[in-house]
Formats: sequence, C-alpha cells, structure tokens
Amino acid sequence: METIWLYQFRLIVIGDSTVGKSCLIRRFTEGRFAQVSDPTVGVDFFSRLVEIEPGKRIKLQIWDTAGQERFRSITRAYYRNSVGGLLLFDITNRRSFQNVHNWLEEARSHVQPHSIVFLLVGHKCDLEAQRQVTQHEAEKLAGAYGMRYVETSARDAINVEKAFVDLTREIFELVRSGDIQIQDGWEGVKSGFVPNMVHSSEEVTKGSRQCFC
Amino acid sequence: MSIPSSSPERESATGVQLECPSSPPGLDADPPSTGSPVLSPDSSSHDAVLSAPAASPADSENLSPDELELLAKLEEQNRLLEADSKSMRSMSGSRRNSGSSLVSSSSASSNLSHLEEDTWILWGRIVNEWEEWRRKKDKLLKELIRKGIPHHFRAIVWQLLGNATDMPVKNQYSELLKMSSPCEKLIRRDIARTYPEHEFFKGQDSLGQEVLFNVMKAYSLVDREVGYCQGSAFIVGLLLMQMPEEEAFCVFVRLMQEYRLRELFKPSMAELGLCIYQFEYLLQEQLPELNVHFRSQSFHTSMYASSWFLTLFLTFLPLPVATRIFDIFMYEGLEIIFRVGLAILQYNQTDLIQLDMEGMSQHFQKVIPHQFDSCPDKLILRAYQVKYNPKRMKKLEKEYTTIKNKEMEEQIEIKRLRTENRLLKQRIETLEKESAALADRLIQGQVTRAQEAEENYVIKRELAVVRQQCNTASESLEKAQETIRELQQQTYTEQFVNNLQTQLEQSRLREAELLGALKEMQDKVLDLEKRSSCLPDENNLAALQEEVKQMKLRELETLRSFREMQDTVTDLNQRWQHHMSRSSSTGGGGGHWKESPKKNAMNELQDKLMTVRLREAQAQAELREVKLKALQLDSQNQIHSKLIGRHEQERSALQDRLQMVANQNKALQAQLNEMKRKQAESDCKSKEEVMAVRLREADSMAVMAELRQKIAELEIQKEEGLIKGQLNHSDSRQYISQLRDQIAELKNEVRQLRGQKAAPSSRIGCGGGSTNYQDLHLASPTSAEGDYLSSDEDLLNSPLPATALYPTLSDPCHPSTQLDSEGSTDSEAEERVQTHPDPQQLYSNMCLPFV
Repeated sequence: METIWLYQFRLIVIGDSTVGKSCLIRRFTEGRFAQVSDPTVGVDFFSRLVEIEPGKRIKLQIWDTAGQERFRSITRAYYRNSVGGLLLFDITNRRSFQNVHNWLEEARSHVQPHSIVFLLVGHKCDLEAQRQVTQHEAEKLAGAYGMRYVETSARDAINVEKAFVDLTREIFELVRSGDIQIQDGWEGVKSGFVPNMVHSSEEVTKGSRQCFC
Repeated sequence: MSIPSSSPERESATGVQLECPSSPPGLDADPPSTGSPVLSPDSSSHDAVLSAPAASPADSENLSPDELELLAKLEEQNRLLEADSKSMRSMSGSRRNSGSSLVSSSSASSNLSHLEEDTWILWGRIVNEWEEWRRKKDKLLKELIRKGIPHHFRAIVWQLLGNATDMPVKNQYSELLKMSSPCEKLIRRDIARTYPEHEFFKGQDSLGQEVLFNVMKAYSLVDREVGYCQGSAFIVGLLLMQMPEEEAFCVFVRLMQEYRLRELFKPSMAELGLCIYQFEYLLQEQLPELNVHFRSQSFHTSMYASSWFLTLFLTFLPLPVATRIFDIFMYEGLEIIFRVGLAILQYNQTDLIQLDMEGMSQHFQKVIPHQFDSCPDKLILRAYQVKYNPKRMKKLEKEYTTIKNKEMEEQIEIKRLRTENRLLKQRIETLEKESAALADRLIQGQVTRAQEAEENYVIKRELAVVRQQCNTASESLEKAQETIRELQQQTYTEQFVNNLQTQLEQSRLREAELLGALKEMQDKVLDLEKRSSCLPDENNLAALQEEVKQMKLRELETLRSFREMQDTVTDLNQRWQHHMSRSSSTGGGGGHWKESPKKNAMNELQDKLMTVRLREAQAQAELREVKLKALQLDSQNQIHSKLIGRHEQERSALQDRLQMVANQNKALQAQLNEMKRKQAESDCKSKEEVMAVRLREADSMAVMAELRQKIAELEIQKEEGLIKGQLNHSDSRQYISQLRDQIAELKNEVRQLRGQKAAPSSRIGCGGGSTNYQDLHLASPTSAEGDYLSSDEDLLNSPLPATALYPTLSDPCHPSTQLDSEGSTDSEAEERVQTHPDPQQLYSNMCLPFV
C-alpha cells in the first residue's frame, strides 16, 4: 500500500558550490553524512515524507542543484515548479553569504509567474571556529527578504530536520490559508489521496498566491 | 528486441564474459563485431591484421627512432604485465586497477591469456604502425577499440587518438603551474570530491589530488573563457589514472578543443542544451512510450542526462564500464554517449514505465549504474544497435542553433526593443510635454484672443451706449435749446405768473375756508358754553333738597294728624260702644217704647259716628294723597339729581371739546402762517427757477461741446483701433509662422522617429504617440487661421463672439487643415486664406447676434 500523504511539496535547494547542499539533503533523506560527495552536475532528485502534525504527512520532492554558476542554464528550469526553497550558504565562507542576493534574484526572475517560499540556511554550523558570517547579520538579511533563518550542520545533524520541517509547515499554512493554490500545470503543490481527512477543496481554492521571495 | 529478464547482478555473478556478446545472435548493424562472439572475430581479424604488418618489416624500419623507442618501451611493459598477470592473476596488480580489472578478469583463465597476449601484440603493432592503421585499417581499428583498448595501451592509444602526442602546449605546462588561476579556490574545493573512493586520489595531499589540481589549474589558465567547470575534473582524473600529468593535460586540451567538450563546459553550457535537445529527439524517435511517460511524470531529460554528457558516464557508471565507453569516445566522440544513453534507457524501459518520479530517480541512482558491471560489452553492443544518424544530428544541431539563435535574437530584440521603447517613451514624454506646452500656449493665445474679442465687443457696446447717450444728449440738448428759444421768445411770464396767481388764489381760498371753519368752531364753543351755563346748578339742587325736606316735614305732620284722627276715631268708637252698652242695659226687655228715646239718641250717635267715620276716611284719603305727593316729589327729586349728574358730565365733555377746538384753532392758525410763508417761498422759488433754467441752458451748451469732443475722441480711437488691428494682424502672422515652424520641427521629429522605427514601429505601440502629433499639427494651423480671420476686416463693425474664433477647430474636415497637413509654405497659406470658402459669410454669421 502506498504511503498516504496530504500534499506533495516540491522544494529546490540552491546556493553556491560546496556550501553543502547535497550533504544536507542526503542527511535529511538518507540520514547519513558522506564525508565527500561528487559535485552535483546538473540536478539531482530526492524525496521524503514529513509528518508536520500527527497524521498529517507531506511528501517532499527535493531538487538538488549544481552550485556553479554556469549550471544555472540547467537549474533555472526547476524554479518554476517549486513551491519552496532552501537557500544555503556556508557560514565559513563569506562569499557564499554575499551571493545570497544573487541567488534570490536568479530564483525570482525564473519563477514567474509563481513564487517560492524561501528559507535561509546557514550551513556547516559545526565549524564554529571558522565562522565568517555571524548569526545576527544572517538573521538581518533573512528578515530583509522576508525569510526565516536557521543554522544547520549535516555533519552533526543539527537542525537538519527542523529546517525542512519548518519550511514545510510554513508552506502548509499558506496552502491551508489559500495564499498558495494548487494549479493545473504547476507541480509546486499537489494534493494527495487522503481518505476521511479534514481537507476541503475550499481550503485550496480561495485566495491567490502572493509573492514571498 | 527482447531484454533479458535475468538481472545483471546474477549475470555478473556468473562471471562469464562470453554470454554478453552471444546473446543477440541475429542482429545486423556492424557485421564483424556483432555477428560473432567477441573473441572469435578478434582472433580472425587479428590474423588478417597480423598478416599485413608482419609481412612488411619495412614498415617498422620506416618508423622514427622515437617511435621505435616507444615501441620498445611498450613491448617491455607488455612483457612485464604478461609476467605479472601470469603470476598473480590479480586485479590489484596495477595501480589503476579499476580500469584494468576487466582485462585482468578476462585474463583469469589460462586459456584466455593466450588470446590476451595476442591482443597485446596486436595493439603493440597498432601503436607502432599508428599512421598506417589510421589510414588503411581504420574500420578494423574502430572495431578493436569497441572491444576495449587493453589497459596498458590506453595511455598511448588515447594520446594517439586525440592526436595529443606532440603538442606545443606541453612545453608551457611547467610555466602554467607557477601561475595562479582565479579558479584555484573552486578547483581546490572540488579536487577532494573527485574520485574520492579511488586509491590514487584518496586522502588529502595525495599524489592524485596534487596532479589533478595541477592539470585543472593549468587548463583554467590556458582557456580563460572556460576556466574550470565542475565535472571536467572527472575526465582529467580518468586521464591521470592512465598517464602522467603533462600528457593528461595535453589530451585534455585536445578533448576540449576537438571533442565538443569545450563547448559543453563553456559558461553558457550551450552545447549541453544541444546535446539534450538531440538526445530528446532520439528518445522521442526510438522510445516514444518512455518519452511520453517521462513527460507525464515531468521527468526532465536534463535530470539524468546532463551528467552523462558532462562527465561522459564517469560519475554515472562504475569506472571499468565508463572507461570502455571512454575508449570509444576517444575515437568516435560524443556519438557514443548518445548511443550508450539510449541503450541504457532502452534496456530499462519496461522498468521505468512502471515507476513514478521517485521510483525512476531511485532507479537511475541505484539500479542502472550497476546493471552492466559484469558485462560492459553488452552495453556497448546495445549501444551500437541504437540508430544514430549523424546527418540527422547535424540537422538537429542546425535546428537547435536556429532555435537558440532565434531565442537569443528574440531576447536581444526584446532587450533592444525594450530599451528603444523606453527611449521612445521618454521621447514621447518630452514631446508630449512640449506639445502640451505648445497647446497651452495655443490655448492661451486663443484665450487672450477671445478676451480681446470680448473686450472689443464690450468696447463696442460701450461705444453704442455712448452713442445712444450722445444721441439722447443731443436730443435733450435740442429740446433744451428749443425751450431756451421759447423762453427767449416768450420770457415765460404770463403762463407762469398766471399759474402762480391761481396758486396764490387757491391758497387764499383755503385760508378763507380755514377761517370760516375756525369761526364755526368758535360759535360752537360759545353755544356749548351757553348750554353748559343753563344746566341746573348747585343752588337749584339745594332748593330742591329743601323742598324735599319740607315735603317730608309735611308728610310727618300729616302722619301725626292722621294718628290724632285715629285716636279720636278710637275714642269715638269706645264711646259709641259705651253708649251702646248703656242703652242695651236700660232698654233691654222693656219695650220698644222705652227704647225709642234711646233709639233716637243712638241713631243720632250713629249718625255722628258715621260722620266721624266719614271724616276719618276723608282724612285717610287725604293722607294717602299727601303720601303719594311725597313719593312723587321724592322721585322727582331723584330724577333731578340724576339729571344734574348727567349735565355735569356733559359739561366736562364739552369743556374738553372746547379745549380741543381751541387747539385746532391754534394749529390752523399755525398752518395759515405756514401757508403764508410758503406762498412767499414759492414766489421766491419761481424766481430761482427762472434763474436755474438759464443756468441749465448754459450747462447743456457745455455738455454739448463736451460730447462733441468725445465723439471726436472716439473717432480717433476707432482710427487707432483700425491701425492696431492691422498691427495685430501682422503679429498674428508672425505667431502663425512661428507655430508653423514649430509644427514643421515636430513633424520632422516625428518623421525621423518613424524612420528610425520603420520596422519595429509596427511592433511597438508608438502609433498612439504619432497620431497625437498629427492631431497637434492639424490643430495648430487652423487656430492660426482663426487668428488671421479675427484680425482681418473691420474690427469696429465686427464684434466677434468668442466662439467665432474656433470655427475651423470644430470642423475637422475643413479643407485648409488637409492642405496644411501636407506642409505648405506661408505664401500658399496666404493664398488659401484668400480662397478660403467664405470669410465674409463667416463674418456675417459672427455678426448675427448683434444685428
């Protein structure tokens, strides 16, 4: 029997090369940490179920993207069908933090006419000694763009679960309030098969999508 | 074509190599390779090949000393390896075991080692006689490569295939290493992630990582445009597993330059898009069902195929398999990647079609990479069964480039158009501002003109009024003159004096009347006084009262007498009774005789009584009479007293009236006095009036003079107005010409703009702007003409209504507007004014409200 889920959210993980996108996703989906992993060439795909409330499961489809700038020609095709995104930077690499704005711009220009709910993730927070970006300034930046901020470590499994679940909850609330609607031809949010669930069609037909990024 | 249901894992477990090539026996395609088991054609062709080089030792003699050296080296290596494989039969015999494992494993059985030896000998020959083989036995060479290049020959064969044996860039290599590259940091980050499991690259600062970094850095310096691209390190890594860094560098440079890799790794990655486009076409053509499934699951080609092209399966398949593919890639280029990719999809089609997105993703990540671990030949065989039409691919490339170019062009065009649009918008804005300003000025001009017309009209009205006044004044003047004349003739005495005399008489009459009334009043007063004097006075009253008293006294007296009489009556009565009783006592029984004397006395007495009683009754009647009289007197007295009161009242009223009349008399006398005074005054006035009339006459004479002067002034003004009008006329002409110049300028600009955007204008929505200008330049000349008309003709006689200034404006099909829009000169305009339909009529229409 297939696992029952309420919604399917499609997330995209972006950020500079070597900030640890693939490792974070692998930690989340496979529960393990690979000391080294191939650089992502193009786009990789992962999925996992998340239980945001007892009995309410959301299926996450996660797109892992190549960080190097020249791969954007491939990765930009994946923004359109994503409802949420984790925007990663490496707290030990200031450059990757400075590029957050560029990534948002990139996403914004290719997500039209939809929008993506982003979560800013400061990764590799286990490497406190090499920190180049303070939590305060990262929070400030996130606030300026209307994002939430969380610091994670795939190596030590810090906040990995929280990052994904928080983002999922945020999107779920927006879907429930009608700010995000399920649309034909858009794969960002899909409704799952849920018997006897409090999940009326009204919830998803009212209101209109807003811009969050 | 059927796909073996047995899992590749089980196949690999058997470890039998022969199974793979023999599985599809009845396939056509490339006859020598596919039609027979792997090793048999090898040996057969081997023999055929062997004969040629072996029979011509001269060829080997023709070799250069370098080549000979190389050959010797290779042969020595071969011998060493031979010994090695014979003694150890192990896969770890070589440092780069993964690549050679296939060969090693195939040499596991001793009976195969002979064949291997043959292969080596053959490859040794091929390497030695490379040019010859390339020229004459290219097809065979291709087949051999498809079978796999023996591990130890890979380094040299790859170099030869890539034509990278003697490259000038090799000499720069050491220099390049000393330089620093902007990509260094990025390369350094990725080095540790390249073949991290491979022994050669394992561990930080290992030799493998060092040389890999060197080659990557050197390349990023040689080719600054590409610099470093993620994925390319895997290719370089593979090269480094086979050859020293300098050689690997050269081969990599060749690969980038000659094998489309440079295009793949360029920052735009355009070639990758093309490869995916071509691959999608092949997929659609050869595996339509799978293609439909992928599309329905939105499983994009780029999700799995981008790494295939960028790393040539090196990150997708295990190294032994990927190296085999790389062998072929070195000879045939990217074609093999398409073939292998399609072969993989074809092989997995039935599985994939049943899976959803996650399933497919998992399948690609977990299952497919290890399907061909044991039998890469099977994969390669399948790859060669894939239909691949290079012409078609070329065509697709063209298609794609045209599509991309179109897109690019479109994007560039869009960008260009956007900027142009923006500029035009700015231009339009400025022009609109200008035109607005001009329109404002125009309107202002029209407004001032209208105001002037209004003023003109007002002045004319005033003039008319003044004229009327003048007329009336002259009339009144005439009248005055007439009266003066009359007065002068008659001196106006008789009538006036008569008039005055009648007035005097009238006032005298009134005076007489008033005097009569006064006398009457006085008489009345006297009469009233008389009447009041004859009214009973207090003395009368006292007398009457005395009378009343006397009457009362009399009454009392009579009352007393009456009582006396009553007393006497009673006395008599008593006596009578006494008498009666005495008479009865004596005469009682005696007879009548006796009584007769008594009777006589009694009769006498009775008579006496009767008389007394009569007298009493008389007295009583008298008394009553007296009482009545008293009462009468009393009432009379009362009436008199009342009368007195009334007379008193009357008297006071009369006195009041008297006073009033006296007052009236006084007032009348005052009036009389006044009248007298008035009469005197009117006498005076009549004299004054005569004087005043004379004065007025003089005044009107003065006014007449003044008016004459005014008329003269107005005539001068009129003259001035005429002159002014002519001046205005010339001003407006100047204004018109100015406006026309401006319009011509604007038109030119518009034309220029049109010329600029000749082609794009249809696409950009600037049509609205240009029509605006047309409107403007249609409007301005007509208004100018209106001006012309207004300043034309006699201003005095043509009070223009404000609306008359815009007749042509409200008439858009006016002929002059059309003429003007064609850009006529001033002289033409003048002509036009002359030929203007009917300014006179127009003018008369304007005058209508005043007629």
